[in-house]
Amino acid sequence: MLYKILIITTLLFSTMAQDSYFCDPILEKNPILQGGRLKPVVVHAQEVIKHLTGKSKNSGNNTYMTYCLLSASSFGLPIDFKLTTPVEHKNTQKLLGDVNQIRFTDLIEKEREIRVAHNTEKFQSGYKKDLSKMLSKINLYKDIARGNNWMVPQNNGGEISWVPINQFFTKEKIMALSRDSKENPFVKSLLESKREFDAAGDLTYQTEYIFHKMRLPLISMILCLIALASLVLFKNFKIALSFSVITVIVQTVYLTLRVIISGRAPITNMYETVLFSGYGALVIAMIIGHFKKEKVFVYMGLAYNFCSLMMINFAYGMLNPNISPLVPVLRDNFWLSTHVTTIILSYGALALSWILANTIIVKKFFSKLSIKDENYYNDVIYTSLKYGIVMLAAGIILGGVWADYSWGRFWGWDPKETWSLIVLCLYMAILHGKYTNWIKTQHFSHLVAGAFMSVMMAWFGVNYILASGLHSYGFSEGGAIFLGSFFGIQTLILLITIKNFKTKAAQ
Amino acid sequence: MTELYNKIEKKIGSLKFAVIIIVIFSVMMIIGTFVESYYGTDFANRLIYKTPAFMGVQFFMFLSILFATFTRLPAKKRLYGFYVIHTGLITIGIGSFVTYIAGIDGTIHLPPNSPTRTVVLNTDVIEIIAPEKNTRATLNLPYTPFDKNIGIEYGDIKVEDYYPFAEKETKWAKSETKKTEKLNFIHSSTYVLANPNVTQDFTLSLHPEAFDYKSSMTMGLLNITYLPYGMFNCFQKKNQSGIIIWDSKKEECFTLDEKNIQVQKTSSGKRFFALNHEGLVYSFLPDLSPWAMDVELKPIMNSPFRAFSMDLFKDKPHLFLFGKALAYFDKDSEKWISENINLEKKVDLPWMGFELSMTNHGDRKAPLTFPKKVLPVQENGSVVIGNLKAARIKVRDQSYWLTNEKPLNLLIDGVETRIYLTKKSHNLPFELTLTKFKMDKDPGTNNPASYESFVNLFKKDGNEQHHVFMNNPLKFDGFTFYQASYSQDPDSGQYSSTLSVNVDQGRPIKYLGSLLLVFGSMWHWMLNRRRKKKDNDILGLEE
Repeated sequence: MLYKILIITTLLFSTMAQDSYFCDPILEKNPILQGGRLKPVVVHAQEVIKHLTGKSKNSGNNTYMTYCLLSASSFGLPIDFKLTTPVEHKNTQKLLGDVNQIRFTDLIEKEREIRVAHNTEKFQSGYKKDLSKMLSKINLYKDIARGNNWMVPQNNGGEISWVPINQFFTKEKIMALSRDSKENPFVKSLLESKREFDAAGDLTYQTEYIFHKMRLPLISMILCLIALASLVLFKNFKIALSFSVITVIVQTVYLTLRVIISGRAPITNMYETVLFSGYGALVIAMIIGHFKKEKVFVYMGLAYNFCSLMMINFAYGMLNPNISPLVPVLRDNFWLSTHVTTIILSYGALALSWILANTIIVKKFFSKLSIKDENYYNDVIYTSLKYGIVMLAAGIILGGVWADYSWGRFWGWDPKETWSLIVLCLYMAILHGKYTNWIKTQHFSHLVAGAFMSVMMAWFGVNYILASGLHSYGFSEGGAIFLGSFFGIQTLILLITIKNFKTKAAQ
Repeated sequence: MTELYNKIEKKIGSLKFAVIIIVIFSVMMIIGTFVESYYGTDFANRLIYKTPAFMGVQFFMFLSILFATFTRLPAKKRLYGFYVIHTGLITIGIGSFVTYIAGIDGTIHLPPNSPTRTVVLNTDVIEIIAPEKNTRATLNLPYTPFDKNIGIEYGDIKVEDYYPFAEKETKWAKSETKKTEKLNFIHSSTYVLANPNVTQDFTLSLHPEAFDYKSSMTMGLLNITYLPYGMFNCFQKKNQSGIIIWDSKKEECFTLDEKNIQVQKTSSGKRFFALNHEGLVYSFLPDLSPWAMDVELKPIMNSPFRAFSMDLFKDKPHLFLFGKALAYFDKDSEKWISENINLEKKVDLPWMGFELSMTNHGDRKAPLTFPKKVLPVQENGSVVIGNLKAARIKVRDQSYWLTNEKPLNLLIDGVETRIYLTKKSHNLPFELTLTKFKMDKDPGTNNPASYESFVNLFKKDGNEQHHVFMNNPLKFDGFTFYQASYSQDPDSGQYSSTLSVNVDQGRPIKYLGSLLLVFGSMWHWMLNRRRKKKDNDILGLEE
């Protein structure tokens, strides 16, 4: 059967003399069912090709073209590129012959060796995880290259069924279509399947296509950067404020679309929480700044939102933008939205204090800050801490109530909840210490900047360091490297500026 | 006395004490989360979270909060928020204490369609049951992270050591059973099967006490069967019919040819033969079943004979091991190959370049397992090492190991006594039956999207139908049942459901405290707004 198709396709394409075969960009918009979710092909292509190769361009082809051509190769059509994948772990590099990039065609030949190495590693280690990641990449690659990954809808009298592309193109279908018109019969039949699907199925995937094409995270990052630059470099508050408002609007659109597509609050994975905390922090900062008539809040909000948008745009390995189905226990929109939103907003508010604390430290190191000014700005920090702490306490309690309501215990010493309590306790210790005057004005910003490391631990560390367990040290994964660098740099800043523990007198 | 109390109240209620106790509490929690991540939840609970030391710290936090409030009375307007926050925290503390003292937290496992009322709690106990005397005793085991020498006694039974986290360790030891005279019946061996890509060692045993070792296994396409050595010589004998009979009374084998027994065919072409022994006739359909049948073709359960048809093992790779010997059918030469092996000799096998060697053998010695105390290891959220619990029981002069996997059955003064290492259980005043279990999957995948249990609740005045699923618990008679997990029977494919069961009298108190805490903190911040002045803007902006 496949053999017959092979003959026709070769015949057809040899006469057409194109090397993009049926990979017309118009098919980007077609629906696909993969990973438990309906989405446009272009989104799925980006998810899998980026996962496989770590790149968004391969030999000049975008992810959609790469995905489509690779699927086309299942019909025996030759493709003139070889996909490579990064080899991350040291031991895996050694196993595959001291390489840090390897072609999938070569990788497949070594599948057996990889499997043997994987089975010989008795304990879960960074190496073993990397090997199993390699094996799953091999499977995914094979799945695509065999034409099994691209699922095409077929409308059988209102009932939608999904078939892989290598079964979708039957000899009869192609022959019939190529007889009728001069159009590419493959493209035509795929477009036809989309039309039939649209007549019967769910159309949210079309929204996702627009969402995908708009590239709003990048736009909002640029807007945020302009706002920040006008404030810090050009000292023009009005322009900064206008751009902040536009940034917020763009991010609101982005988040709203995400909510429409996923059908849930945009706070269910690391990518979304980082995005939401930056956005929330900017909104909170603008509101507080407005009522307190203090412009520095806008600076804090912009600076933090920019940090989070940088991560959103560039930390692909750590923050995965894919929308995927939730585990059953989280499928409760009310609790999810209230509890997680409160916690993430509190992290955002605490991040505002972290930005200003570091600004004070750096300012003191390179220039001067009078004790009166430091007192004043400590008070600004204190204001954002107030919001952060109240929301954190409320969020922890909401989490307890949710846990109690869903599985019958208010508190279970689970690492995530314990770490959020640690964060609360550390900030409470700082606040109590400030009341006793144990913590002097000059020390406050250092402690606040340091305390934010506990937030990072609760937020990222529990997922990237604690969740991996005893045998997965090695810090081979993106998240752990990021967190390690964050702790390192923050500690370094605190150590370098420790001589500035005393405020220099203003001249 | 009042002076001393005032002094203590002032000390403990001071801000400095508060900072110190908060920091100690935080440090213990930080250690706890790392311990939890490496060694698992249970170990962390036993080492930190549920220890008297950690509870003591919480108690001092409670005192600190309480005394801090007392020392700031009579009430000042500036501190209204503060009072509410601290009252909230004290209330949460009281609520948690009530839960700790009176609450129940356990799980109930519901197999399909069978009424259940037993809730399993999280305390390890030893249960001693003497069915004839109708007695049942429950001994609580200590909540400790490490092994402990305990001396709990119950009659003649003494619990000596307790390992909360253990693994099985195999030691080749001599059996204490002396009844078997012949050695070709209870042997055990360890082999290594290797080719350039894979190396696998495995132990097979026929010893009745080697519970953890089987006598057959599969490795990919290869089947391996461990047979008594006494059967080996029949594999070597010339055997036209290819049928071997094993006499389990004499512990020896013979072929049909030796006894001149004719094989006949049934009308449907199946081979059959009959064996006369001590006046009884045993008939066999050797290609269908090894068991003997009587005249009416019903299996004879107490027959000493079993038939072994070699023809059945010609098609697929099948290796027979007899301790110090092996046999297999070689497809190329169309012959049965049999060979002796020993600890030095390696044998080439005809499949995938495999080579077999023997690394250990015992005619009487067997791979017996003993518990060994370990530090648990957690991987991907579940404990992979240290799941065994063990206790050493001494009855008069004899010591026994008891594990949570295998109960002990002893005869003490002629009375049958069963000893279990298990979890404490609680019987519900009503019964639950799982009538249906439903699992939805994410479209196009095998990932569960939701799981739901339909249960029948039997109470004194009739029964009720309930539907329990994630975020929708069943509340009845002070108990709350939550959908926790499920399991599937690999044979029947039927689902069982596990619900977590909970009684929490402290709940409303904790909720009240939480409300006070949140509103108190908002009030506090609103009462303490102050405005400061600056000289220069930190960003250099004009005012």
